[in-house]
Amino acid sequence: MGFWTEFYALSFYLATLILLAGLAHKIYQYAKTPAPLKVPTMPAPLTQRGVVLRLLSEVIFFRSLFRANKWIWLFGMLFHGALWLVLMRHLRYFTEPVWTWVVLIQPIGQYASFAMMLGLVGLLVRRIVVERIRYISSPSDYLMLILLLVIGGSGMMMTFVAHTDIVQFKTFVLGVMSFDWQEIPTDSMLLIHLGAILLLMIIFPFSKLLHAPGVFFSPSRNQVDNSREKRHVAKWAIKQFETKQN
Amino acid sequence: MNLRISQIGFGLLLSVAVNAVETPNPPKANKQFSTEQSCVEPIEIMRRYHGHFLKHHRNDTMHSGVRTTQHSLIECINCHVTADDDGNYPNVNEGSEHFCRSCHNYAAVTIDCFQCHASKPEKK
Repeated sequence: MGFWTEFYALSFYLATLILLAGLAHKIYQYAKTPAPLKVPTMPAPLTQRGVVLRLLSEVIFFRSLFRANKWIWLFGMLFHGALWLVLMRHLRYFTEPVWTWVVLIQPIGQYASFAMMLGLVGLLVRRIVVERIRYISSPSDYLMLILLLVIGGSGMMMTFVAHTDIVQFKTFVLGVMSFDWQEIPTDSMLLIHLGAILLLMIIFPFSKLLHAPGVFFSPSRNQVDNSREKRHVAKWAIKQFETKQN
Repeated sequence: MNLRISQIGFGLLLSVAVNAVETPNPPKANKQFSTEQSCVEPIEIMRRYHGHFLKHHRNDTMHSGVRTTQHSLIECINCHVTADDDGNYPNVNEGSEHFCRSCHNYAAVTIDCFQCHASKPEKK
C-alpha cells in the first residue's frame, strides 16, 4: 500500500469524524440556545406551515439576501446552485451501480463547474474591491473562498485538461468506505483536489461555513407570528419566576 | 511507521463488516502491441487519455483525411472486444460485458461512439 493511499484514507476518516462530530455539537448548541423573545421579522407567517415555506424560500432562493443585495445574491446563487449540481455529479464515485439520474446529470455538472467558479470569483472580487467589505474581512473569509477555488480549479483541470484514472480513484473511494483500502492514483491534481477538500471538511464546524445548518436556527426567520394567540415564555424564565415565588 | 498505519487499517477492517470492493472486470485483449508495451500507448496514459486520442484521431480523419491505425477505434475494437466460447460478441447496449462498457458503466461516463461505429470486430 503506497504512502499516499494510507495518508488520504486515514485523513478521510479523521476529517469525516471531525466534520460529523463538530456539526452534531454545533447543531446541538444551536438547538439549546434560548430564544427568549418573539422576534420574527415582519411580515411573518401566522402558522407553522407558513414558517416551513418561509425557511424553504430562504434556503432555496436566499430571499432575504435578494432583498438586501442583488450582487451578492447573484454570485451566491450561482455558486450554491452550481455546487449542488457538481456535488450530485460526484455521487458516481460513491455508488456502485451508479443511479440512472446521476448518469444523466454528468454533463450538466460539467457545465455547472463554470458557473460555480464564476460565482466564487465574484464573491472574492467583492471582498477585495468593496472597501467596507475588505475592512471587515478576516483571513478565514479569504481562506474559505480560496479553498473552494482550489477545489473547483483542480477539479476542472481533471475534467477538462489533465485527467486522472477515475476508475482507479473510484475503487479507492469504495475501498475507504468499506474499510478495504485500494490504491489511489497519485496524479498531482487529484491530490491537491482531495487535500483542499479535507481541509474544508475540517474547518467546516469552526467557520462561517456553519451558515448551512445555522440558517434553520435563525429566530427572526423560524418563529411563528402568534404572539397574541399564544403566550411566548422561555422555560428558564418560568423556572426563575417560580423559585422566587416559593 | 508504515507497519503501524497498516495495523490501524487492519483493526478498522476487523471492526466493520467488510464488503469486497467492486471493481470493473474488462475482458483481456487479443494480443500485445509490442513486446515492451501492451497497448498503443503505455497503460497509465491509455487509462487517462484514450478519449483524447480517439477524438484527435477522429478530427484528423474527418478534416484531413488522415487514416492511420495506431489510434483508430476500429483497431481498439478488433483487439479488445473478444468473443465468448460460442463465438458471440458482447452487446454494447446492455450489461457490462463489453470492453468499453465495463469501465464506462462503473465511472458513469456515457459515450456515443457506437451510435455510428461498429462495437464488434470486423469480420475477417
